[in-house]
Amino acid sequence: MPNNILFLTLKVFAATGGIEKVCRVAGKAFYESSISNNSLVQIYSMYDKHADADENRYFPSEIFHGFGMKKMKFIIEAIQQGKKSNTVILSHINLIMVGWLIKKISPSTRIMLFAHGIEVWESLSKRKKMMLGCCDKIIAVSQYTSQKLQDLHGIPAKKCSVLNNCLDPYLPFAPAVTGKCDLRNKYGYTQEDIILFTLTRLASKERYKGYDKVLQAMVALKHTQPNLKYLLAGSYDALEKSYLDELIKKLGLEDSVTIAGFIKEEDLVDHFSIANIYVMPSMKEGFGIVFIEAMYYGLPVIAGNKDGSVDALCNGELGILVDPQDIKAIEEAIGEMLLHGEQYKPDQKILMEHFSYKNYKIKLEKLIA
Amino acid sequence: MCRIAGMVHAKLPVNAIQGIVHQMCDLQQHGGPDDEGLYTSEKDNLVLGNRRLALIDLSPEGHMPMSYRDRYHITYNGELYNFLTLKEELVNLGHQFSNHTDTEVILACFAQWNIQGFAKLKGMFAFALWDNLEKNLYLVRDAAGIKPLYYASSTGQLVFASEVRAFKPVDSLQEANENWPVYLMAYGHVPEPVSTLANVKPLHKGCFLKYELKNDSCSIGSYSHYSYSHQVTDAGNAQEQIKEALEQSVRSHLLADAPLGVFLSGGLDSGIIASLSAKYKKSALNTLSIYFEDPAFSEKKYQDILQERLQCDHHQYLLTEKEFHDSFPSILQSMDMPSCDGINTWFISKYAASQGLKAVLSGVGGDELFGGYPSFRRITAARAIQQMPKILMQAGKRSQSKRLNRMAYLQMDGIKGIYLFLRGHFSPFDIARHLGAYEKDIWTILNAQPILNDISHIDDKNQASWMEFNLYMQNQLLRDSDVMSMIHGVEIRVPFLYEDVIRLAFKIDPAVKYEGPLSKQVLINCFQDILPSEIWNRPKMGFSFPFAKWLASSDYVKELMQTSSEKTQKSYKKFLAGNLHWSHLMSLIILKNRKQ
Repeated sequence: MPNNILFLTLKVFAATGGIEKVCRVAGKAFYESSISNNSLVQIYSMYDKHADADENRYFPSEIFHGFGMKKMKFIIEAIQQGKKSNTVILSHINLIMVGWLIKKISPSTRIMLFAHGIEVWESLSKRKKMMLGCCDKIIAVSQYTSQKLQDLHGIPAKKCSVLNNCLDPYLPFAPAVTGKCDLRNKYGYTQEDIILFTLTRLASKERYKGYDKVLQAMVALKHTQPNLKYLLAGSYDALEKSYLDELIKKLGLEDSVTIAGFIKEEDLVDHFSIANIYVMPSMKEGFGIVFIEAMYYGLPVIAGNKDGSVDALCNGELGILVDPQDIKAIEEAIGEMLLHGEQYKPDQKILMEHFSYKNYKIKLEKLIA
Repeated sequence: MCRIAGMVHAKLPVNAIQGIVHQMCDLQQHGGPDDEGLYTSEKDNLVLGNRRLALIDLSPEGHMPMSYRDRYHITYNGELYNFLTLKEELVNLGHQFSNHTDTEVILACFAQWNIQGFAKLKGMFAFALWDNLEKNLYLVRDAAGIKPLYYASSTGQLVFASEVRAFKPVDSLQEANENWPVYLMAYGHVPEPVSTLANVKPLHKGCFLKYELKNDSCSIGSYSHYSYSHQVTDAGNAQEQIKEALEQSVRSHLLADAPLGVFLSGGLDSGIIASLSAKYKKSALNTLSIYFEDPAFSEKKYQDILQERLQCDHHQYLLTEKEFHDSFPSILQSMDMPSCDGINTWFISKYAASQGLKAVLSGVGGDELFGGYPSFRRITAARAIQQMPKILMQAGKRSQSKRLNRMAYLQMDGIKGIYLFLRGHFSPFDIARHLGAYEKDIWTILNAQPILNDISHIDDKNQASWMEFNLYMQNQLLRDSDVMSMIHGVEIRVPFLYEDVIRLAFKIDPAVKYEGPLSKQVLINCFQDILPSEIWNRPKMGFSFPFAKWLASSDYVKELMQTSSEKTQKSYKKFLAGNLHWSHLMSLIILKNRKQ
């Protein structure tokens, strides 16, 4: 019997965050499974417009319905389609009510929920917690998130499965040397400069990514490594920018830090390619797709040891995990990588075994079978 | 253009696998008369086979299976139209080439970009590529599904070929799909992913199958697909882009080291292809057409008008009733998967081969992309009827009227019901009566496959286009074009289905694409300066072959029908009385012919 799937999402194409990345890749996996298994898949997005899926590479837009913020229409059609589906997969806990209603109307429909990170790490409203009971399975993107679900919300362990995020199958290959030189020139870096790189949203309200700690660690590192530079990229809000400018000034790092702002998707590879170390001692990563992307481009990686990053670095097998609040530990980790860079180059075989799209699809197919 | 086959089998000795693949190639010899080759990886129990029809680099250097860097090995059926551009890019990246074929470009492309390289290939192709280092075998099929590729996989075994008939030497795959007669009678062909063999299926277009020998696992990935959008909304802009894309496509389709021609039906699409071809290859261009003695069917008038304008080397053939009767049993034999059409392609390809042509350009795809079928007008009404109470649709099932009779299909949800209503042959009620089955079982079989996604949210006319492109063209036209041409060792090329043309057509707003008083007005607007007005401003002739008359006078058909079931004989009488379409009779002829 075919396993017809309805994948309910908030956004797939209209934003560039980690959850949207997961939705695009999972959508592709569901589409490919539907071809292999001769079954149906429909992908609904509450916020995307239908045209947002135009010419996307992940799946044909005919299987995608963008409701363009028409929430009621989304809910009604999701319930109608959900009743006819064997499996409904919710990409976010904010869709739990729709899943719960589908389960009420069609108890034989399996409901599965993707749990990413902070959205399920906090205490939930009574209603949401009750509705969580409709899920036949919760797919957590990391062991950390899975544990939080069990500890905080009392989800039985047998209902929780861990499916780590994966590398986007369309990630471009590392560029030729010429591209790297152009970018180094753009930022005024010399060939001798050693570049630490962080790519994240710089938001004043969610200051947990640890870049401020990296800045503080830089002060001591500069004594032994004057060519050390820090390239901090990603969109920022004005408040955070002024906070960072002030901090950089206070630390005397004006010549060593570049705040690059938003980087276009197509320019990301070049940025990974000019960097020497990827460092982001974050405290609230659900998983941290950026870590595996950095490792895909051969960068040694430093991450925090208090969240889903632990999975992304395979418990430290692929990089160094540090206490994200311990500036000295961050400083030592960077120092260690500066001394023994080659030793920390991530093992591509292990990386692909854990985080290739191919293996992600196999695991996902097993979970929804 | 070639025929391919291959096998990996963990338990069979290598020489046995070689024997099987050799036989599989032999069964497809018609499609590759110029050369034969096998590649064997002894340690891996893997054999790739190829029958070659040489079109680019006719020298022995184009021999297949071909290897690259002693690591990658390929058996390939198809043409890559952007291979010179890709080759240049690959040379700049340090690749070295030892011959002039597009085959080697595919190998280098994979060596450079792995599976991400598949999306760079523009053309029609089906190939199997073996990575001898990673021990992975890839089966890959073009995004428009122009070239066929069938496969069967089970524990420790993967078998593939260009035609279903090639699986005959594989004993373990001989179990028939008992339901194929139902599909044939409903659709007039056997739609993907169904085949006549229970465990053999076509590879989905735009997909690749990866077989990992080390862990004996198969997975299917999608590397390309086409989707509709409304991005091009300006008519002038659309026309400019269509002109440019089609001109570029035709120019690249004329690349060949062997003689080629253009089919001239007398209609708009082939007229455009011929006119554009003449622009770029006047001196060596051959045009081909078929005409009949009976002027009611003949398009000769229009073919002559076009020819006068083009002044190419034109070959016109008078297809006589006698030749039809003489050839009919061979035509039935030529079919791979059963199909109620393709007879015209069989004859014109035969003529092309007799003229020494190895490749011929055809206008397939124009109707699907730009709205040339009646379904584009009828779909809205069909959708409206589909919403009505099901009992109404069931009411006409015993009716003699084809339209009323097929209305039963609108009980099926979605585009499948609409397709079968508009294009289906026998109704489930009639199928059941012919096959001695229960009607509900026929419904179950037809509901089970193919499984099609709900596309009701896209524009009505784009739905018609989706349906014609993915169902009718895919399962009927392209399959007939491929099989009926390759049986004569001729390759049919389809410039309307070049990636850039499809992508463009799919993103033109329906309000622009299907606008105008005439069918395919947007194409007329683009090319009326190079086409005689008689070609685009002419009455529609419908199906312009006198096959109904000829089938009625065929002794061969008469004999077949006389030994058929009572119900089939009744249908034959109905056909003789003019109450059953000839293509419906074809289903019954094929069923009887395959039983013998």
